[in-house]
Amino acid sequence: MDLIIGLIIATIISWLNFVIVDTFLGLPEAPGVKGAKTVGYYIKNRKGNLAGGFFQGNILCSPDASAGTLMASIGVYILGIQGGLIAALLVYIGNRLCADSGYAGTTGALTMTLLIFIFSFVGITPEMFICGMVIAIFTIQGIHHPTSSILLGKIAKSFGRYTNYE
Amino acid sequence: MCYFFDLAISNKRYILYYNIILTMISIIVNGFQLFVNYIVAIIVAIVLGLTLRLPLLPEKPIRFSWTTSALFPTPIFAIGILAIFYSLNIFWIYDGLVIAVIVGAFSAIFVKYLFDYIFPNPQGGSE
Repeated sequence: MDLIIGLIIATIISWLNFVIVDTFLGLPEAPGVKGAKTVGYYIKNRKGNLAGGFFQGNILCSPDASAGTLMASIGVYILGIQGGLIAALLVYIGNRLCADSGYAGTTGALTMTLLIFIFSFVGITPEMFICGMVIAIFTIQGIHHPTSSILLGKIAKSFGRYTNYE
Repeated sequence: MCYFFDLAISNKRYILYYNIILTMISIIVNGFQLFVNYIVAIIVAIVLGLTLRLPLLPEKPIRFSWTTSALFPTPIFAIGILAIFYSLNIFWIYDGLVIAVIVGAFSAIFVKYLFDYIFPNPQGGSE
């Protein structure tokens, strides 16, 4: 497959994978650690959304589905499907070391391994997914925090995972 | 169809195609064997975890729960450690099936007895 088209498709798949898994497993609902709480309220003070802020704080403070997606891509690139399984184990250990219960990261890594396996038949290679995931996380964490937090807050509301914090 | 034509006219090509087909069959069989091994490891881990009186599911709400259970994280440890063995080309006997059983049993015992000592539950950080 053409590199640019593959990269765009890989970015969209990675973005959907980590945002859906993270939202479904309750990242916007509550800050797992104090750092995530600080980030959430800081983004809210800059006219952002609190649930989206907690989401961004949580993926900043511990390896969640975003890190799982990236590590699964790298693992599959190095060792094939088995690398994705090793990545899931490593993400889980990292989660526990970061005071996180570890559901989002592990689920994200396993679903991403499955997605890479499925889309390898179309011709999208693991290195496209590595690059695509970096672009996907850049759209959330790198461009403009208040805007992306409002989008994440809307997604959280549609999943029924909106925060109760004020 | 043209492959079969070629087979008939050239003995060398016949051997080449034969080898390619054999390789493909062995890849499919080995892949299937690996798949079976992973399933065996997961089943052994879950069953032994349940026999060691781990709960089947974490307490609700599951997404904020810290309890270890037979469905999470026992199979994650089983397939992760098994994948490390297989990537290092350690298969031992019966195409890795015995290692799958041992790793499954080890991960259940690890989660039951050693897990809280190695990955303790954070007391102050979580709110």
